[in-house]
Amino acid sequence: MANVTFPYPFPEHLFALMPEMFVAVIAMALLLLDLFIARDKKATTAYIAIATCLTAAVLSVQAMMPEPIIAFYGFFVLDQFAVLAKVLICLGTAIGMILSINYMKDEANVGEYYVLMLFSMLGMMLMVSATNFITMYLGLELMALCIYVLVGYQRDLLRSNEAALKYFILGALSSCMLLYGVTFFYGVTGSFDFVTIGKGLATADSGAHTAIMLGLVFIIAGLGFKVSMAPFHMWTPDAYEGAPTPVTAFMSAAPKVAGFAIFIRILVDVMPAIQHEYTMILTGMAVLTMAVGNLAAIMQRNIKRMLAYSTIAHVGFVMLGLIAANDDGYAGIMVYLSIYLFMTMGAFGIIILMRRDGIHGEMLDDFAGLSRVRPGYALAMGLMLFSLAGIPFLGGFWAKYVVFMAAVEAGHLYLVLYALLFSAVGAFYYIRVVKYIYFDEEKVAFNFQESRLMQATVVVMTLAIVALGIYPDPLIDLCKHAVAGLI
Amino acid sequence: MDLNNVLDFPILSLSIFLPTLGALVIWLFVHGDKAVRWATLAVSIATFVVTLPLAFMFDKGTAHMQFEELHPWIATFNVNYQLGVDGISMPFIILTSLLTIICIISAWECIQTRVKEYMLAFLILETTLIGVFCALDAILFYFFWEAMLIPMYLIIGVWGGKNRVYATLKFFLYTLAGSVLMLVAVLAMYFKAGHTFSLLAYMDYPFDFAWQFWIWIGFFIAFAVKVPMWPVHTWLPDAHTEAPTAGSVILAGILLKMGAYGFLRFSLPMLPDASQYFVPFMVILSLIAIVYISLVAMMQTDMKRLIAYSSIAHMGFVTLGTFMFTQVALEGALFGMISHGFVAAALFLCVGVMYDRLHTRDIAAYGGVANVMPIFAAVIILFAMANVALPGASSFVAEIMVLIGTFDASAVTQANLPVSVKWVAIIATTSVVLSACYTLWMCKRVVFGDVNKASVGAMKDMSARELGYFVPLIVLVIWLGLYPTPVLDVMHESVIHLVAQATTSKLDAAAALAQTAPMLNAVHH
Repeated sequence: MANVTFPYPFPEHLFALMPEMFVAVIAMALLLLDLFIARDKKATTAYIAIATCLTAAVLSVQAMMPEPIIAFYGFFVLDQFAVLAKVLICLGTAIGMILSINYMKDEANVGEYYVLMLFSMLGMMLMVSATNFITMYLGLELMALCIYVLVGYQRDLLRSNEAALKYFILGALSSCMLLYGVTFFYGVTGSFDFVTIGKGLATADSGAHTAIMLGLVFIIAGLGFKVSMAPFHMWTPDAYEGAPTPVTAFMSAAPKVAGFAIFIRILVDVMPAIQHEYTMILTGMAVLTMAVGNLAAIMQRNIKRMLAYSTIAHVGFVMLGLIAANDDGYAGIMVYLSIYLFMTMGAFGIIILMRRDGIHGEMLDDFAGLSRVRPGYALAMGLMLFSLAGIPFLGGFWAKYVVFMAAVEAGHLYLVLYALLFSAVGAFYYIRVVKYIYFDEEKVAFNFQESRLMQATVVVMTLAIVALGIYPDPLIDLCKHAVAGLI
Repeated sequence: MDLNNVLDFPILSLSIFLPTLGALVIWLFVHGDKAVRWATLAVSIATFVVTLPLAFMFDKGTAHMQFEELHPWIATFNVNYQLGVDGISMPFIILTSLLTIICIISAWECIQTRVKEYMLAFLILETTLIGVFCALDAILFYFFWEAMLIPMYLIIGVWGGKNRVYATLKFFLYTLAGSVLMLVAVLAMYFKAGHTFSLLAYMDYPFDFAWQFWIWIGFFIAFAVKVPMWPVHTWLPDAHTEAPTAGSVILAGILLKMGAYGFLRFSLPMLPDASQYFVPFMVILSLIAIVYISLVAMMQTDMKRLIAYSSIAHMGFVTLGTFMFTQVALEGALFGMISHGFVAAALFLCVGVMYDRLHTRDIAAYGGVANVMPIFAAVIILFAMANVALPGASSFVAEIMVLIGTFDASAVTQANLPVSVKWVAIIATTSVVLSACYTLWMCKRVVFGDVNKASVGAMKDMSARELGYFVPLIVLVIWLGLYPTPVLDVMHESVIHLVAQATTSKLDAAAALAQTAPMLNAVHH
């Protein structure tokens, strides 16, 4: 692979970093600008932030070269894979912001809310372009710190504070674990660079085996925390339930894309020499994650909590792509995450639309009779739920299909069988929500908090799920190309 | 046939997607319950008309797939949009488009809430059902097979009876759990048979016995749930009881056939050795369905439940005929499916007619219906006789063919059975008596006797609309009972071909392939 490596940091290296710099500058400027925006016009801040996200996505695509660019002496890479992940992250953040406008308008300091989201997005963008544990850690922490604050943004609500505190403590612990794991690899190979460590691990002598294994375990645990793999998933339900719903929507999509993208990069660049070991660990965790996610989701009465466990379940399915450890598996993960982003954010979008006085449309039976009052919302939510359950003609089916196919190709037939059985279990709690929406009578009068922009976003996401369900080929193709550059 | 090659018109695609297109148009542009009903009827009739050329232009002289269409769909995984029909699948397409019209007319008055959603769900259901019978690509087949769950879930759940939530969840989860195993089987075949999803390629590829064994089990679970076979049948009585009338009609008429069709399309031709190996297993399950489920049917107090159990028993006949590997038995099984499509549909419609009047399906709530509804009594008795397989009805032809085919089962089947296949036929024949018991006993309690209840006395006879949707079924049941040749002719070549596939072992070819494969690999590297 002929990497384009420039001798000096300027200006080509900055060109590769342009989208990130753009976001950083706008975010800081917006922080100042927000002071001058009247309290009742705070939506302007949101619109600027949304435009920034979308521009960043366009810039990421613009900055892409036919060959991967490795900039800043191996601290930063811009390849097709990173660009794909960045586009998804920017899209997820933009949708998260659109869902926030109405929901957050009564909160204090709402301007900073969008700035925090932008910084968090910046962190994720850095993270997926990292080729070095230091860059990765910087991006990861920038993302995580912003999200801790976002989760606790409703300062008057006890549960929001509680969620933020739990998330912060566990998140900080997981970052420590990750760093601790990195130190082992540094000790063995003397480098933070992914590729150098990868080569070092391949040639390390047998005496270093214990250190390498400890490093592997801690790094997987640390990253596992961030993407909610069992048994490191404990924070997820509490954080999801306590966070303001648009933050939950945001958390359930964009950080997962970033987390899995960097996971893939680390597995491909750092760990090929210890594939056997990490496959064993990940297989065990995947088995647990699928079981915990799907079984615990059945018990939930709060839809945010249910979707938290559903996220865990989907993470379990996505892990099959990591375990497959082949091109199709990694491409499958990107397909899965792209489709999952629309499904989960679409479902949260409907939940946010249903917010009413004092009630947040969060309990399952709050949905009772939705189909009579708003057939459009009911249809959108129904399609999202069937898609999450993986029923064909909706995108969710192909998401599962590509990942499972890759796992079968890699010889993990039994694991796929297990995953499929749990996806049938999973269908139970999704279609139970459909039951409330379509079969039950309305209990309390609905009081929607709607805006044209939000409705349009939900419609677009629903159409995307249906369109991808009927013709997923372009997306699969795109992801395959993006991954081909990686390996 | 030359004609359809010359025309080169995507008639199957049109049949599949016309209902969905119609649904889209109705959703967007048609408002008002009355207009929606008429528009849906128009779409379903148009679909029926579109499927008719399949019957008229069908070439009976060949077992090849006809009206084929092939387009790449997901190129990265070699998934194709591949359609085609043969003598096994074509009759089901006509059956589907016909029964859909009847379903829509039958729902005319009894569905008063959310009429538009109901009609749209039915049209989308029709798309998935026709799609299943046309698909020649395993993923496309699975796609339609699973997509069917969504409209069916809503039809039973939204317009169903009191206990509908339980019934729908059970239906959904049973079917889904069954079909995920089919997906695993399909993926296994994809990698084994050289990265293809073409059903025709699977039929030709020599799988060795171990592969056949496990893949067969995967398919078996999916199909057995759908047929349904004992002991995974328990979702059906619940689903039937709670479904609205038209839902029951389409469930008994088409959905159950998908499972048996799966055996004919996948298990027999693709996995002949495993199919032969499992003959005793299938025979035992089929006999349990025929005898035990018939006894269960006798004890039912709910009319829909009774007919549901009777359906399971009749499907037992179908699976029995399928695994006899003779032309007569297989044609009997196929004919039985079509005949059962008419008879069970008609019986559910009869229950629907009574339910619309008294809003109960309890047998004890009726009695002496013949006194107040003479026309209706004639119709229900006619279909009850058909359910008993009285000579003159289409079901008689089916049952006698399966029984003859069983007495005269192929050497392959006999070789796999520990006892003489004659015993199997003798046990299966008890069905004739048992089905007469439960059907006629129900008729006695519901139709005949004196009118003892005021509510029954107030029942009005059938309207012209109600009679209207029975007429085509009456005509078809009697016509096919007296003159089954046109339908059997369509099946002949395909069934002969299927028997040849199912009785030809793939093991020798698999062994030969296993020997040459290393050499081929050596050449490649």
